[in-house]
Amino acid sequence: MPRAIRGVLVKVDPSIKAIIVNIDAENHAFIIEDLDEDHLVIKENMVSVLKGRIDEILAAVLTVSNPNGAESDSDY
Amino acid sequence: VVDQIKLWQLETERMETIPGFLFKDFQDFKEYNDCSKYADEIGVLQWKSDGKRTFFVTRHEQLRDFIKSRKAREAAK
Repeated sequence: MPRAIRGVLVKVDPSIKAIIVNIDAENHAFIIEDLDEDHLVIKENMVSVLKGRIDEILAAVLTVSNPNGAESDSDY
Repeated sequence: VVDQIKLWQLETERMETIPGFLFKDFQDFKEYNDCSKYADEIGVLQWKSDGKRTFFVTRHEQLRDFIKSRKAREAAK
């Protein structure tokens, strides 16, 4: 018999998918099945937690990439 | 860098989430193929992989009945 597993299909850009795979590698709390380069199935109750974690990581990237804060804005 | 971040933020906003059911572990390709075709016909199929014999649907009730009646037909042969 085939199995049916409840979850949430996530369609996302491969760059964001890579971030999700990295987050999940810590404790495997999110991903039910890694489908292909831009699809995953994740646990239904973890969707909002995952979105929060992605936002944190993107914010951290911004901080690291821009260590001088507002001053470097003049470069642009 | 700021442009890159804006791009990423756009990507996360574009992140599409669809609740449903992952079907896997079919006994053979024919069973997988019949079921995924049926799921497509009734409009619940969201993703499938012939290679993995796995697919994702938004609803499972009709499909469950289809699998049961298919099993019954196979057994009757």
